[in-house]
Amino acid sequence: MLGLFGTLNMAARSLQAQQTGVEVSGHNLANVNTAGYSRQRVDIKTSTALPTAVGPEGTGANAVAIQQLVSAVLNSQIQNQSSTSGYWSGQQGALQNAQNALNEFLNGGTSTSSTSSSTTSSSSTGLATQLSGLFSAFQSVATSPGSVSARQALIGQAQALATTFNQVGTQLDTQRTSLNASLGSDVDSANKLLADVASLNKQIASAEFTGGTANDLRDAREQDLENLSHLTNITTSTGTGGAVDVTIGGQQLVSDNKLLDTLKTYDAGGGNLLVQTATGGVNLTLAGGSMQGTIDARDGTLATLQTGVNTLASTLINQVNAVHSAGYSLTGMTGANFFSGMNAATITVNPSLADNPSLIQASGSATATGDNSVALQLAQLASAAQVALNGQTFGDAYNQSVADLGNALQYANNQVTSQTAVATMLSTQRSSISGVNVDEEMTNLMSYQRAYAASAELVKTVDQMIQTVLSIKT
Amino acid sequence: MRVTANAFNDSLINQLNVLTSRQYNLQNQVSTGLRISAPSDDPAAMTNTLKYQADKAAQTQYGSNIATLQTRATSIYNVLQSLQTISSRVGELSTLASDSTKSPADLNNYGDEVKQLIQQAAQLANTKDAATGQYLFGGTAAGAAPFTVATDANGNVTGVTYQGNSSVNKIEIASGVTVAVDIPGANTSGSGARGLITDSQSGADFFNHLISLQNDLASGNTAAIASTDSANLQKDENNLLYHVSSNGVMQSRLNLAATITSNSSQSLDKMISDASSADVVQTMVQLNQAQTAYQAALQSGAKIMQLSILNYIS
Repeated sequence: MLGLFGTLNMAARSLQAQQTGVEVSGHNLANVNTAGYSRQRVDIKTSTALPTAVGPEGTGANAVAIQQLVSAVLNSQIQNQSSTSGYWSGQQGALQNAQNALNEFLNGGTSTSSTSSSTTSSSSTGLATQLSGLFSAFQSVATSPGSVSARQALIGQAQALATTFNQVGTQLDTQRTSLNASLGSDVDSANKLLADVASLNKQIASAEFTGGTANDLRDAREQDLENLSHLTNITTSTGTGGAVDVTIGGQQLVSDNKLLDTLKTYDAGGGNLLVQTATGGVNLTLAGGSMQGTIDARDGTLATLQTGVNTLASTLINQVNAVHSAGYSLTGMTGANFFSGMNAATITVNPSLADNPSLIQASGSATATGDNSVALQLAQLASAAQVALNGQTFGDAYNQSVADLGNALQYANNQVTSQTAVATMLSTQRSSISGVNVDEEMTNLMSYQRAYAASAELVKTVDQMIQTVLSIKT
Repeated sequence: MRVTANAFNDSLINQLNVLTSRQYNLQNQVSTGLRISAPSDDPAAMTNTLKYQADKAAQTQYGSNIATLQTRATSIYNVLQSLQTISSRVGELSTLASDSTKSPADLNNYGDEVKQLIQQAAQLANTKDAATGQYLFGGTAAGAAPFTVATDANGNVTGVTYQGNSSVNKIEIASGVTVAVDIPGANTSGSGARGLITDSQSGADFFNHLISLQNDLASGNTAAIASTDSANLQKDENNLLYHVSSNGVMQSRLNLAATITSNSSQSLDKMISDASSADVVQTMVQLNQAQTAYQAALQSGAKIMQLSILNYIS
């Protein structure tokens, strides 16, 4: 039998247990909006039964643990999904900027021509219109080789094309640089998170040393691991004392509470940054996450696009110059180039031609200045298959570059959309297990409060009983 | 399944995001009239649109080339007509002068007329194209006037020299198709475009034959006029006729080419529109649906968000 004071003690322990319940519910309610918080629950268990003459008698309840409701399986699924999601977001961001740099968009508008003035058609900004404009301007000069205004129009069109090439070339270069910078800042963030995980491992080990689970610290660490997965794919394993070991790209970076190594960018050649371990110097191949997404976009689609635009510009320069320098100007001069420069960022119109359009070498014969054969050849370059462009014409090669970029970006967009759907589903599942439901917590609060009141009643009852016993003597 | 308040709120936010972005896209499509505007919207359609636009620009340029050529051909025809008038008159004169009974005074009068006709013909042969300011009959040597008349002290024409060449420019009127509308003033090489005044293929040599006629009239050599000059001048007349009919054929070819280009342009317009334009009616209907769904989501979300057990615990 417990006895009066034993019962009083039981009531006191029950008050404590219910109060702990109220406090935990309060903690849950306070953290209803905290990101990554998993709801906690008080584990109230019956205390050890006492053997009595009539059998084991219960001795009340104790709060034995505060546990959090998490699903480790779901957490690791979310980490993986976060990597994939980060990868495609990284790609999407980089490719979106590349598309803006290329500036090839359609504008709605009514085109007026002598043949159809009421049809709505679209005109494009960007290189496509400028390229076909250049060849049309060559045609105008071929039709009227002596006309100064046709030559001036050709110069104007060629300069517009060169400027557009310059802009696209420069923007794509700037793109590359800013992707490298964003990779650098991602690496910095990853390093901070790795340091954080190591320090949390230490804190969790010392907090759990005396027993129990350090719920809030674990939540914080889980949040850090998820953010880290968004940056790069990680493999985790359980270490000693509740620690989590983190491996990236096959290299273990966090072991127990030690940060073994950090990440660093290095130049893999050609100004392209990749990732390696800082002290170990081991080059890492990352498997997912926004860092790898950025790297793949930069070295894959963006590099192909840049090469395509530069090859287009250099082939145009070479072919036009080859034809033009063999021609004769209105003054009988020959040998001058039409374009100067080497690639998209540096292409310009020969300044002496720009100053004096009659120096454009449209004629095929030194004596007959009204001849148009060179101008006609230049105009017919539009439909000539170019060896340097894999047998495509200028227009077709450019369209191919645009289509490749468009396809890559469309694919990335679709992947991001489907990953968002998966992320939403996983997060709904997690919140169904670990999320705080205000109604439920309020109800729990009320039940703990009632239980507290009931235990208080028990204290009152036992107190009265003790007073009754005491009053036997007086 | 256990649903928490936050899960519900997050899901509502996601749905509202999806709906607003759908509305934004549809509204964009309606106001620009374009179904696609960036390469990532529909890469295949974008490539097609760019290709059609390039083709259309080429067709427009061909149309403009053809228009220039048509104007040029008309100018050339006008000159040919005037030259034909001169040629007929000269033929008449040589027939009249072949009559040996004509008096020297008559022959002198005919001679004076022939002198004037030579000057007139030279002036016609030096016509400039009004559009470009280039000489029509100089071949590709565009600089100076092609024909220069040299006269002696008495006003007799001693010679007409040709400073142009015998090449003509080819102009593209369709992909890979070039035509030459110009007529060189003289072609003594025996191949290529036939010359207007002098042509070794047909034996025409208009100015020299006219000068010979002028000289024969001055010297009263009616026999030479009857035999040599008349025959020569007939060759010149035939040459002119050849050029007139060639010009006619060229003009109708240009008209046909203009029609073909215009039809091409129109069908390319339609293809561009099919590839890139938005069907306004369909888009408006979809926009309406999106707006209704958005409204419904807002209303239902607002209703549910307001309910909580806290409302009922007093």
